[in-house]
Amino acid sequence: MKRLHPAIARCEGLSTFGLPIGLGVFILVAWQVIVRRAAVPQVILPAPTDILLSFDGILGVLAHHAWASGSESFVAFILAAILGATVAILLSMSKLVYEAIYPHMVLFQLIPKIALAPLFTFWLGIAAPSRLTYATFISFFPVALAMMTGLARADANALRLCRAVGANHWQTFFAVQIPYSLPYFFSGLKIAATMAVIGIVVGEFISAKEGLGYYILYAGSRGETAHIFAAMIVLCAIGLLLYGVTVMAERIMQAWWRG
Amino acid sequence: MAPHIRIEDVRKVYRSGKDEVEAVSSVSFAVQAGEFVAILGPSGCGKSTLLMMCAGLEPVTSGTISIDGAAVTAPRARVGVMFQDSTLLPWKTTLENILFPVRIQKRPLAEYRDRAHDLIRMVGLSGFENTKPHQLSGGMRQRVAICRALITDPDILLMDEPFSALDAMTRDEMNDALLDIWERYRKTGLFVTHSIREAVYLADRVLVMTRRPATIVEDLKIPFDRPRDHSIGESVQFNEICAHLRSLIEHRQSPAPARSAAA
Amino acid sequence: MASNFSEPVKHLARVLRGTPTFGRRVVLPALVAAVILLAWEYGVGLAHLPLMIIAPPSAVWDVIANNPGILMQQSLPTIEEAVLGFGLAASLGIILGTSLVLSGSLQKAFYPYILVLQLIPKVALAPLFIIWLGVGLPSRLWFAVFMAFFPVVISTMTGLMSADRNAVRLCEALTASRWQVFYSVRIPYALPHIFAGLKISATMAMIGVVVGEFVTAQEGLGYLIMFATSAAETPLVFAAIALLCVIGLALYGSVALAEIIVQKRLGVSITTSEF
Repeated sequence: MKRLHPAIARCEGLSTFGLPIGLGVFILVAWQVIVRRAAVPQVILPAPTDILLSFDGILGVLAHHAWASGSESFVAFILAAILGATVAILLSMSKLVYEAIYPHMVLFQLIPKIALAPLFTFWLGIAAPSRLTYATFISFFPVALAMMTGLARADANALRLCRAVGANHWQTFFAVQIPYSLPYFFSGLKIAATMAVIGIVVGEFISAKEGLGYYILYAGSRGETAHIFAAMIVLCAIGLLLYGVTVMAERIMQAWWRG
Repeated sequence: MAPHIRIEDVRKVYRSGKDEVEAVSSVSFAVQAGEFVAILGPSGCGKSTLLMMCAGLEPVTSGTISIDGAAVTAPRARVGVMFQDSTLLPWKTTLENILFPVRIQKRPLAEYRDRAHDLIRMVGLSGFENTKPHQLSGGMRQRVAICRALITDPDILLMDEPFSALDAMTRDEMNDALLDIWERYRKTGLFVTHSIREAVYLADRVLVMTRRPATIVEDLKIPFDRPRDHSIGESVQFNEICAHLRSLIEHRQSPAPARSAAA
Repeated sequence: MASNFSEPVKHLARVLRGTPTFGRRVVLPALVAAVILLAWEYGVGLAHLPLMIIAPPSAVWDVIANNPGILMQQSLPTIEEAVLGFGLAASLGIILGTSLVLSGSLQKAFYPYILVLQLIPKVALAPLFIIWLGVGLPSRLWFAVFMAFFPVVISTMTGLMSADRNAVRLCEALTASRWQVFYSVRIPYALPHIFAGLKISATMAMIGVVVGEFVTAQEGLGYLIMFATSAAETPLVFAAIALLCVIGLALYGSVALAEIIVQKRLGVSITTSEF
């Protein structure tokens, strides 16, 4: 690694934060100025100040919809995590079962499950449970698949050690395979965090009376573009929060892993 | 005669925040054309850093390194470098890897193909021209790296512990291969190692480096004639030199025996 | 030969356990698929499930065979959006990713934003694209590009930065120019990452296409699914879903195929993921 002269090192640290911040400020200012100068209609693109102002008056409404979307996403994510891990463990206990089912899991992961959203609404109605089921359904595959891959890929030396000390299949499974699968589990969880929110939002698009997805659709149909941006900001916060929680959990797991 | 490589009072300091690490502290020596000089020292004594500065890959903090009288500020085509990792490009064949410098330096490929085949034959890799690195053993990969270092016929070869990642037997083979190459090409060479026997076996002169401070504590001329062969490794003289060097590195106390000479 | 039932089963079990891995890896999943299809076909009848809830494979096949027109008609816009959307996302993504890596300052400035843009639920912006571009093909196309673009940028940047440090140092020692380092070392090392990103991008493109069709509700297989669901024509729904799966798999498959071809040309393994 190259080390630097202290003045340059200070510049380096500055530029890692300074450049993105500078770019952000530049974009916001340019956005504001261009929209005002070119008199862009609010329907097409509201200025940053318009968006900020639009929050006023809809805070309660936004909070209500945010809670709907947020809580559903969170629940779907947790269910997907538990279900995914359980299925992964159950399917990996027998080599025969694993080899029979794994390709199908991969296939299911690759097909555009988004196309199934209307079907879930059809089967389970338009209330929260159907959205929840759908979001859990699409988020569970990445977790299960990642963990199954992890269980199959435990460190060969560790497995050999188990055989050498005479551990049976179950002992090996719980003492070695599951711990070694944790990194994979968490990378699957990160995908699930994104998928859960996507599932809830798409469910809300198709048929809902509440939630930020619904609110954005509604605002869109009324040309209230500033409200779309406002709701989007809240939704992004939810999505990033869920992702952030997962990353933190991963860090904790990694700290435990390293002892 | 003017030295081929001259290092004058070179220092290298790494700074990170408030911390300062002196990797190399006031090193001076010279290497004549055609000399093979080994820099010997324990891990972390700055010898690799010193080599990287000679290669123009790291800037000096103070002092000068000059090659052919001109200060080194950037890598030069006439200086070949070998790293500890053979660093072959995994998607290229042996032949393509050897000819890589030719492509980079935009020389005409046709002129160098024959030379590449000669080098391959010389290091004993005939038949492996079209293999990929993952099909070769560690020793074979380093042999390809040697060919690559020699393809453009550089005047100077800088080698940073090229054999320390190999097992003991392969390493001995590589040492012999390097000696043979030296007989043939007589380049100026600077070879970094932490193996005492390797340094004494290969070099005309051994520079001993220590850490804290990272300087050269001895410049020892190796009295064996070339061409050298295995048997010198068994001789009493060889082992005495090794013992002396070992004590230098461990204690930095023993006075130099009569054989040593300053550069 | 076997005189009772258990013998062939035991034999099959023995064969299955002893078969070379490749045979097992193909035969077992195929068996499972066959079992599922059969259960689906006959289970629906046996459980007296109304056609409205689940259509058996035979009903779905009937629909496909008897209505090629409508299915074809709605497949075309979807295929267009998917292929063009992914193609644009891939090209623009690689170009932007490469440009950003070539300039250290631009890279530092933009990277956090691209990362955040990748993580947020961009699907929610579909209505915005309707406001901007209407309800026709361009709107759905550019929404798909928007969804599929970021994974490519990120993976291109990560890939280009992942080149073996020693290989880069080797090039510098050989007095290579920045462009030569880029072309000879960074690009080949970047390929596995770029392909991984392209695979994610293909999935995202499909999501963008389908959601776009849901929201614009004009044409396309996504629209057909919504329409058929509301008309309770479940076999048609299943047929449309099946076609969408084929398109999605074909898109993903072409990326995987391209990866295999590049791998063969380079002669080294570049696949980083299991699938």
